[in-house]
Amino acid sequence: MSNPLIAGKAGETHLLLGNEAIVRGAVEAGVQFVSCYPGTPSSEVPDTFFRLSPEADYYFEYSTNEKVALEASAGAALGGARALCTMKHVGVNVAADPLMTLSYTGVPGALVLLSADDPGCHSSQNEQDNRYFARLGGLPVFEPASAQECKDMTRTAMALSDELDGPVLLRTTTRVNHLRGPVTLADAEKAPAPAGFQKDPSKYVPIPAFARPMHLRLLERMQRAMELAETSEYNTVTGSGTVGVVASGISRAYLSDALTLSGLGDKVKVLELGFTYPLPEQLVLSFMKGLTKVLVVEELEPLLENDLRVLVQTTGLDIEIFGKNTLPRYGEFTVGMVEDALRSVLGEAPAVRPVNPPEEGLPMRPPNLCAGCPHRASYLTTRKVFGDEAIYSSDIGCYTLGILPPLKSADLLVCMGSSISAGSGLSKATGQTVVAFLGDSTFFHSGMTGLANAVYNQHDILVVILDNKTTAMTGHQPHPGVEKSIMGDNESRVIIEDVVRGLGVTEIRKVNPLNQKKFTAAVEELKAKSGVRVLIAEEPCPLFARRAYGKKPQVTAYVTPEYDMSEGVMERVACPAFYQDDDCRLAVNELLCAGCMLCVQQSDNIKSKKKGDK
Amino acid sequence: MSVTPLRIFMTGVGGQGTLTATTLLAKAALLRGLPVTSGEIHGMAQRGGVVESTLLIGLKSPKIGPGEADVLMGFEPLETLRALIYLKPGGAVFSSTESTPPLSVSTGQATCPGLVDVEGRVAEVAGITGWYPCQSLGLQAGAAQAGNIALLGAVAASGVLPFGPDAVAEAITANMKPKIAAINLKALELGVEAAKA
Repeated sequence: MSNPLIAGKAGETHLLLGNEAIVRGAVEAGVQFVSCYPGTPSSEVPDTFFRLSPEADYYFEYSTNEKVALEASAGAALGGARALCTMKHVGVNVAADPLMTLSYTGVPGALVLLSADDPGCHSSQNEQDNRYFARLGGLPVFEPASAQECKDMTRTAMALSDELDGPVLLRTTTRVNHLRGPVTLADAEKAPAPAGFQKDPSKYVPIPAFARPMHLRLLERMQRAMELAETSEYNTVTGSGTVGVVASGISRAYLSDALTLSGLGDKVKVLELGFTYPLPEQLVLSFMKGLTKVLVVEELEPLLENDLRVLVQTTGLDIEIFGKNTLPRYGEFTVGMVEDALRSVLGEAPAVRPVNPPEEGLPMRPPNLCAGCPHRASYLTTRKVFGDEAIYSSDIGCYTLGILPPLKSADLLVCMGSSISAGSGLSKATGQTVVAFLGDSTFFHSGMTGLANAVYNQHDILVVILDNKTTAMTGHQPHPGVEKSIMGDNESRVIIEDVVRGLGVTEIRKVNPLNQKKFTAAVEELKAKSGVRVLIAEEPCPLFARRAYGKKPQVTAYVTPEYDMSEGVMERVACPAFYQDDDCRLAVNELLCAGCMLCVQQSDNIKSKKKGDK
Repeated sequence: MSVTPLRIFMTGVGGQGTLTATTLLAKAALLRGLPVTSGEIHGMAQRGGVVESTLLIGLKSPKIGPGEADVLMGFEPLETLRALIYLKPGGAVFSSTESTPPLSVSTGQATCPGLVDVEGRVAEVAGITGWYPCQSLGLQAGAAQAGNIALLGAVAASGVLPFGPDAVAEAITANMKPKIAAINLKALELGVEAAKA
């Protein structure tokens, strides 16, 4: 059955996830080239492109990291293609180097960069506001607030990039990526085949002599973008009064609901900004005519607020601006918060909003490594050999969940790939024993450069590459080292062991961590050595193995009556398939057990049997 | 279109199908021509953690703050209790009675309030309550995961939504493969019957 995201016709309405709507917007814009590195909350965009690629006309790739992804899309757009590149907010840090210069060179085709920000840190290490990048690099910005706008603005952003010959930022936040709403489709455009790269070093090679005029052309482009923002259909003024509200992104939804629910709608004049940068100054000035107060509703940083303050100061207006003195500079807003901010600016008392007190003392339900996860085995063994004294330098992936007791295998973490390089520096500066843990996808993302550095600079570190054959955390995306993806075999596999050897590492072991005896021996052997050592802990993620390898657990662990609770397997291994039965004895939930047999290797009194056997 | 705004907060445990239920309910609302927005939080939540989602009719924000939900649907009783802060005092609570204890509880390292305590606490703040053995109803229909749909049936039959179980049934038929749809339609019906009992 053809998917409406590809084959849908104008006028059809579908309930779409924000991220699916972005895919449809790109398809409607005639996208030809899509590259990405996955990361929550952006992942459903590339995953949907990937899944639908057999029935679509675009080229799609999972790139090794965000810098590579953006450069690949840049190359395509320099050759005249319409390109979309997607990543989460911290990915843009990795891609910042090409981004800052792409706006100088411009792109004869079209290039839209999706930055999926995460206010509230739902699944990220920080809540940085990537609207700064647009100001730093010189990119027009669109910020949708509904599924329909996710589609429409992606399409418009692509058209704008085409028109201005420069990259455009589509900035979303978690709530927008992961909302669902009705989306009415338009027909998909068929873009002409890319014209091919036209040589012109003065435009595309930013040596200093060429870079200076490029900067002037960028400033001119941003001036034209501002003129287009003045009349954009996404920037609208409604209502009347002497108190104004300016809102952008998802804050527009909070504001709209606050006005609907509070009855304050007829007391304020509202400027909604969807095409948010460069600020349409004439529109803002005409909006502010007759206002005495303006409340700016934007999550995270006071960017629009500061722009407005500058505008008010330079034009000599007598308007009081409210923003971060009324609403927080961190986390997400709620409808209630926006309503109260509005009331405070209007001089009204905050709404009385009775709330049930939070329930105290409930047991938490933290996310956990799954039953059968090979990382549990890797952590258990490494800790057994290295103990509490070693410093465990962690990285970004499912395996960060090793932070939880009893495994406690994440002592420090900075960003993707930092396990090796930060671990190297730590060990050099302090002489402490460091074990770095990183996953297979993270190794290709930015672990390789750190490993080459460790070899060259003669660092002392044990690197455990947790190779579960997929990018598990973000939804089982492939990477260069995988054997399989949901689409079939990987025909151009890059073997991690070969890469490690090629980077100059001589002490390499590759062992399945579920084989505790062999794995323990390998860890002990490498512990006794110094310098850069690499242990590849190889075993597929069981969730992925079920999907891609068709591997279903055949056996289950069970606890014999001889097991003594003082053996402590439950406390040490902490598998989600464990429970205490009515007699307060350890038991294994056969439905949850993945048959990894890690616990069986911890006690002679835990045994295996075929699933279903008594 | 003028519609009475309605905010529904849903909570459950990763893997229970909370998001499937949310999407189905949103599709049912859309089938009845209602302006609908839903929201969900993914990511770390999927590794056995809490999964929260929202459904809003006549409103645009995909997020529900403390004290803002008209209806709270809990697919697991401990999570129903934890999410009670989102319920508008006097609102409606529909919940499964069947527990999936967190690892700390199932391994005896922590305790969790019993069902009687949970029901008592909910009764103190909710205007309408409904408790159903969802997983059992799901199993009766043919699959434990269909328990969510049984809860949708009970909620749709209670009259708190601007549409009835028929809209949910249409959404199931339109969006699921026939074999799976049959199980879920049965679960829906069991939920509707449970609500009327």
